[in-house]
Amino acid sequence: MLRFVTRRLSAAVLILLVLSLVIFVLQAVSPGDPARAYVGANASPEMVAAERQRLGLNDPFFTRYFRFLGGLFTGDLGRSLRTRQPVISDIATYLPSTVELVVTAFLIALLLAALYAMSGALRWPGASIGRGVLLLLATAPPFLLAIVGIIVFFGQLGWLPARGVGDFQDPGPFGMQALDTLLHGQTDAFVNALQHLVLPAVVLSVAPAVAIGRVFRSSLQAVLGVDYVRTARSKGLTEQQVVAHHVVRNAMGPALSMGGLQLGYMFAGVVVVEQVFSWPGIGNYLAASIPVADFPAIAGVTLVLGAIYVLSNLVVDLLQALADPRVAAE
Amino acid sequence: MTATLVPRGRLRPVSVGGARLARPVAWALVGLLGLVTLVAVFARQLAPYNPIQPVGPLNLPPLSPGHLLGTDGIGRDLLSRTLIGIQVSWLSALVVVASGLLIGGTIGLIAGATGGWVDAILLMRVTDLFLALPGALVAIAIVAALGSGLVNTLIGVAIVWWPYYARIVRGEVKALAARPHVEAARLAEVSRPRILTRHLLPGVVPTAVVSASLDVGNVVLLLAALSFLGLGQKAPAPELGADTARSLSQLLSQWWVPGIPGIAVLMLSLIANLGGDAIRNLMPVRR
Amino acid sequence: MSGLATPVAIVSDYSLSLVRNGIRSQVLKHIDLQIRPGEILGLVGESGSGKSVLALSLLGLLPHSSYPEADGEVTVGGVDMLRAKPAELRRVRREVLGAIFQDPMTSLNPTMRIGKQIGEVTDDDAESVRLLETVGVRDAELRLRVYPHELSGGLRQRVMAAIAVGGRPGLIVADEPTTALDVTVQAQLLDLLRELRADFGCSVLLITHDLGVADQIADRLAVLHDGVLVEIGPAADVVRNPQHEYTRSLLASRLSLTMPRDERFTGAAEPAEPAVRIRDLRRTFTVRRGGGRFRGDSGEINAVDGIDLDIALGEALAIVGESGSGKSTLLRIVAGLDQPTSGSVTLTGTGGPQMVFQDAGSSLTPWMSVGEMLGERLRRLKLSRADVKDRVIAALAAVDLPPEVGKAHPGELSGGQRQRVGLARATMIPPAVLLCDEPTSALDASLAKSMLALIRDLRARIGMTVLFVTHDLAVARLMGDRIAVMQAGRVVELGPAEQVISQPREAYTRTLLAAVPEIVEGAAR
Repeated sequence: MLRFVTRRLSAAVLILLVLSLVIFVLQAVSPGDPARAYVGANASPEMVAAERQRLGLNDPFFTRYFRFLGGLFTGDLGRSLRTRQPVISDIATYLPSTVELVVTAFLIALLLAALYAMSGALRWPGASIGRGVLLLLATAPPFLLAIVGIIVFFGQLGWLPARGVGDFQDPGPFGMQALDTLLHGQTDAFVNALQHLVLPAVVLSVAPAVAIGRVFRSSLQAVLGVDYVRTARSKGLTEQQVVAHHVVRNAMGPALSMGGLQLGYMFAGVVVVEQVFSWPGIGNYLAASIPVADFPAIAGVTLVLGAIYVLSNLVVDLLQALADPRVAAE
Repeated sequence: MTATLVPRGRLRPVSVGGARLARPVAWALVGLLGLVTLVAVFARQLAPYNPIQPVGPLNLPPLSPGHLLGTDGIGRDLLSRTLIGIQVSWLSALVVVASGLLIGGTIGLIAGATGGWVDAILLMRVTDLFLALPGALVAIAIVAALGSGLVNTLIGVAIVWWPYYARIVRGEVKALAARPHVEAARLAEVSRPRILTRHLLPGVVPTAVVSASLDVGNVVLLLAALSFLGLGQKAPAPELGADTARSLSQLLSQWWVPGIPGIAVLMLSLIANLGGDAIRNLMPVRR
Repeated sequence: MSGLATPVAIVSDYSLSLVRNGIRSQVLKHIDLQIRPGEILGLVGESGSGKSVLALSLLGLLPHSSYPEADGEVTVGGVDMLRAKPAELRRVRREVLGAIFQDPMTSLNPTMRIGKQIGEVTDDDAESVRLLETVGVRDAELRLRVYPHELSGGLRQRVMAAIAVGGRPGLIVADEPTTALDVTVQAQLLDLLRELRADFGCSVLLITHDLGVADQIADRLAVLHDGVLVEIGPAADVVRNPQHEYTRSLLASRLSLTMPRDERFTGAAEPAEPAVRIRDLRRTFTVRRGGGRFRGDSGEINAVDGIDLDIALGEALAIVGESGSGKSTLLRIVAGLDQPTSGSVTLTGTGGPQMVFQDAGSSLTPWMSVGEMLGERLRRLKLSRADVKDRVIAALAAVDLPPEVGKAHPGELSGGQRQRVGLARATMIPPAVLLCDEPTSALDASLAKSMLALIRDLRARIGMTVLFVTHDLAVARLMGDRIAVMQAGRVVELGPAEQVISQPREAYTRTLLAAVPEIVEGAAR
């Protein structure tokens, strides 16, 4: 098991290194001068050149790369061309809201996926309509779902708000509206935060829910037909015992993999959702950086989200090894 | 000894998107894919108006006379813009999937058939690395670096997309190459090229085709999202995602202006998914 | 055995139809059967006879996905297993029934420890340990913590037996429990079933395709053919005096150690240039630690551990060994499909090595026609299309297949036909040596017999050298002029077939011989 963990960990480190190299190469290729972030748009060419020299932007490729890597370790991701702030502090400001949104959406997705899979594999009556609706929703582009959600729930019904995290002040310390208000016991603010959270989280959760649900359902069906389940039934166990002890653990593997994958995708998909809902998260920050070609910001966000993606895959691998001892023996 | 051959299974119904359909209906879904492709190819001829010129009153709702889908805030015909948008989205998706299949498939075939260090280290480590990176984000970064535009977007997505096919094709080739029938062919003194083309490749093609057809929907959605973020063509070129993004302010008043391009994406994605599912279930099981 | 007590299971006028691949067919027809308390009933049938379906019916485990439609009754412990409510069925399974299935690898949950799986029946670790000891598992306490993939096939089946017996059942349904096991392990498991009957007083329904296996321990024998129960009676009677024609044909197609050998090959072989020369052959595999067998300490396995053999031109050598003996590895090296770690294999004669695989279905390319595959063999000769066609038809005829088979794809052929196609492909151009890798172990007895006869016919006609690998001593005696017995990568005994069988020198050979399930007619039990 220990060998397994070390191997996966070192693989993750390697992947992150490659990601940093890719981002660095792209940065070198991109238009736009990072020096401008430090001196401003109105600086004279001489000032820009001097700033370039100061930042070491004229040094050879690998010197710059290692400086870049070193910067990553100290948290220096450069300065945003748009906000003129260090990218790392921008990210620190906006990341918590995104995490709140993604985690909520992921939990909803898991719930929906479990319902989708169990209702299908165990043949719950009437559930096929629900699954069909979910399938249809998952085929739609998230921005369309967001638009429809806003038109219906805000425009027509007036049940839910259309933008932002909440109408109250965030008391801190996490930068996550719902969590913070909950911790401080501010019920009104908490409910208000939840209302703001519902629509974007549901919109974000639909496609991953179906992806995970399909995989889980198909592996549930496969396991239900397998020999050792027949053995379990022949012992006279109740169907619940059979499912709980023999089926779920063995069917979870592919679903866990897909879950990890989808969690990673969600951190990318959140960009569009945040834009439509004006959610003050890192996705919105990225979306704002694109039209102005603010590459330091784009690079920084990609690195951070990329690291989160790689780490979540690592956690999924470890969970899989815990669930199925054969995996760890590889 | 009598030569009674075992009769083939009868025409069974086929399951598509969770529903059981008669085989002709499934074939019709596949035909729908072809129809959409035709529409996409001839979009310019089918469009009633010039998509980038104002040609009518502003913000006409759908089903108005002369403008089936209405007009937008500048007076451009939405049907024409949507048709061209479909052309861009659908054909782009086909190009990306085809290139991914070609590049990734070839790499996967070589890796799976060659084995040894070429496979393990050179090809699969590289592929695994690509796959471990968050594709959509890297695509965004690539396109942002190269500068927005249709070709750059397609390049960015294609770079991120081929490893998926390489992994699938390699897996299939490896599984097939380990099968006794390939060993039997080697013993029967069949030449290596012939083993590759007659004994391996035909077994890989169905899986590759099915994966590709199921993938078109995903690529359509990704391209639409990138377009929404402003990474596609510049205005005023019609693009489904971009049109939605640019008219978001009209969301609550003239819902059709941002809504219709989004619905078009939904239609494309739905047809691609159903068609892909139908193809997968119509393919004879060759085990 | 008193016939007066109420039977444990009663099957009364039972007919069943199932849907497979979209087609509904009648699988069981008007079965009447009773299992008395404390008796061992052997149910014998070939594949497709419906025997496994009968087992599932008794357990109440017919799959919904096959839409079963049943007439008649299947009563176990007083409960109709076809129509009772799920709660009733479960009670019967807990209290009256125990089950042992064919494949021990897949019948145990791979992610659950053995102790927990047994515990589902016993609820008590101490009881589980006692059960494991009863079924002959050593170090029972340690084994509780182990996962199924860390045990050998024989041990897994013993665990299955422990689970089956754990609930103190009245009836154990054993569906082909020994088919996947080596012959020595099979003998042990059959003995175990007999002991369990003696210790616990339960009945056993032993389902198998091999009359000999059933005859080892059964009190009564029943024969199932195409869904119909064609014969049932005391074992000795059925074997000595079969009433039904099918039973007679089953007995006749059995390969036994005493049946007459082929006269064409009984003449002494003239000393000839060896067609196959094997010198000090070794093949070592490195095994990754942790995965695979329980005894995986060493990182290396000597699959082939120094073999010296000569096979004369036109001779047939049969290699016998259990799983893990290295016989298949040896064959693959001679075929050129695997490289030896050291040592050499020299083949004289043209044509190269050709092989008949164990599973013919997977050795044929599914999307190519038979004619195309056979034609590939002739590419080297650069013949005209008409000539190729003629030779393909001739090759098919040589294995008793009509020309139409040339147009068919493997999926359209039956198992026996596929095996013959494989044989045709291997012998179309006379090979330097024909290698046979257990070519009949997957076939029913009657098909196996004709296939083996076919190989012998071809051998006589072309004068082929044959290297035949099998786990079955009777087959080895039938097919080989000489027999080599392999164990742990080495040849432990080598000699003329009849001599090895009747006067074995080595203890291992004697163990193998003793384990063969022979039908000893007229012997008291």
